[in-house]
Amino acid sequence: MHAIPSLSFRRLLDAPLSRGLTLLCVGALIAWATPALAQNFTPRDESPEDFPAGAGRDETFYACTACHGFKLVAQQGLSRAGWEDSINLMVRRHNMPALDEADRARLLGYLEATYPPRAPAARGGWQNPFSKQ
Amino acid sequence: MAQETGRQGADLSRDGATQTVASVDRGRRGFLGGSGLAAIGAVIGSGMPFSDTLVPAASAQGTAPAKGPQHLKYPGKNEGLVVLGERPLVAETPESLLDDDTTPTEKFYIRNNGQIPEPAKDPEAWKIVIDGEVNNRLELSLGELKSKYRIATRRMVLECGGNGRSAFSPPARGNQWTNGGAGCAEWTGIALADVLKAAGLKSSAKYTAHYAADLHLSGDASKPSLSRGVRIEKAMDPYTMIVWGMNGEPLPNIHGGPVRLVVPGWPGSASQKWLTRINIRDKEHDGAGMTEFSYRVAIKPMVPGEKGDPKNFRILESMPVRSLITNPANGAKFSAGTKELKLRGAAWAGDLTVKAVDVSTDFGATWHKAGLSKPKNKYDWQRWTATVKLPSDGYFEIWTRATDSKGVMQPHQAGFWNPQGYGGNAMHRIAVLVG
Ligand code: HEC
Repeated sequence: MHAIPSLSFRRLLDAPLSRGLTLLCVGALIAWATPALAQNFTPRDESPEDFPAGAGRDETFYACTACHGFKLVAQQGLSRAGWEDSINLMVRRHNMPALDEADRARLLGYLEATYPPRAPAARGGWQNPFSKQ
Repeated sequence: MAQETGRQGADLSRDGATQTVASVDRGRRGFLGGSGLAAIGAVIGSGMPFSDTLVPAASAQGTAPAKGPQHLKYPGKNEGLVVLGERPLVAETPESLLDDDTTPTEKFYIRNNGQIPEPAKDPEAWKIVIDGEVNNRLELSLGELKSKYRIATRRMVLECGGNGRSAFSPPARGNQWTNGGAGCAEWTGIALADVLKAAGLKSSAKYTAHYAADLHLSGDASKPSLSRGVRIEKAMDPYTMIVWGMNGEPLPNIHGGPVRLVVPGWPGSASQKWLTRINIRDKEHDGAGMTEFSYRVAIKPMVPGEKGDPKNFRILESMPVRSLITNPANGAKFSAGTKELKLRGAAWAGDLTVKAVDVSTDFGATWHKAGLSKPKNKYDWQRWTATVKLPSDGYFEIWTRATDSKGVMQPHQAGFWNPQGYGGNAMHRIAVLVG
């Protein structure tokens, strides 16, 4: 069995940041900001439980959120081959560490089962605003 | 200078990251190698500085994402924008918010490929470098750009290369844009051509390569998050601009300020945000976002969903024709007995203009011509209006289709499937209920 923590490097966001530092930054911002738009943005905190349960969910979540939100993953609807291509792309082009066979299979299992090709995709495609389904 | 500003966030985060990594290190050995750790530290840190003040309201601890669209909470931006992703921050503008002749900055879509840099402390000192196949390497501050070249303001469409992607079937990989990865703002700046002329293009100059100050999502400072370019002919188009103003205000940080490119009519990724350098090359650029299936479409049409062969792909240049209904909004309700609807919208066509817009209230069985305005300048969108009669109360869909100046019309479906879903310009439709 895979221990979930073996893939978990995401919770870092929860760790407290020194308050002094935060205040300092905000102060600096106000000093040289052009109006409202100049401030930075804190992504909302995602957690594995926000996404459909399934074998491999937590490992997939932690493996795929080192660089970007899981929402980017959950937006997709891909075949197993499409997911494989995506993982290869992350490794080849975006600095993702290569996965060993077991981790790879586990991630693919979850992705394939949870986010298969479907139309319309997650939130995309055209949806009838009056439809009750 | 520009570089420094861009990295500031990363330096900050590294400090924060050291402590954080140490405190949670227990669990994650064995998965990532050492290099991964450093990268992740930087990434995690980047989101931290303002966590006390600016956590979106909807993100109260432990709250699952609401069903339905997630609305943007970002200072100075309209809450009607729909978040496609927060890291990187990507948000689109629902069609009904594109109802202004000039898209207000607060309603303009957001697309990032990397981390959002800290706002520049001294925008006037922001520097860009022009080098490569030129006789004189130039290093110009924003102050110099403003004083040395002829300034112009133009209203031009900026559109994400993936706009319309969500209409592909099977789904194509990438942010699932509906039609809202587009807007039309007044851009103030100078012609890139004037700067290139000053630098003196060598006869070997073929292609541009754009570089910027935003960090790659992995935190690796040596890796551009996006580096695209265009053929030198497009770079010399007088409408291809280096801009610092948007709708009469300094270009906001979130839109690439203090200095970005606007390469109108082509995928938005060519319009590099936080621009620091344009390298002139003697061959096609091969930076991040230029190769394989990125911003490319199939030459020989492929079976939807199949694995593509990169050799069969060409760079997407001009964006395809598109029209939107911006009023009424999808889902609008009208009182019983309403017999007529007034429609408004926008249409544009990449490098071309729009020749006609038609609307239908019967799923395309019959079509009616809309009145179409002229663009204010090249690359502006064209606003249209139409009045349609409804035969009864009930459920109606209103469809719109535009035809470009070469006679090419929007199709019913996103066609010519490709793995990353470019060129999807299916007709726009809304549903309304009368009575
Ligand atoms: C080391 C960093 C990193 C890791 C880890 C990572 N990605 Fe990515 N991913 C990226 C970057 C960078 C992009 C491009 C973002 C952009 O340009 O908007 C990206 C984009 C994507 C996209 C969108 C593709 C597109 O063309 O826009 C998908 C889908 C995706 N990642 C899936 C995954 C999955 C699944 C995992 C886990 C198995 C994963 N990623 C892990 C860095 C990473």
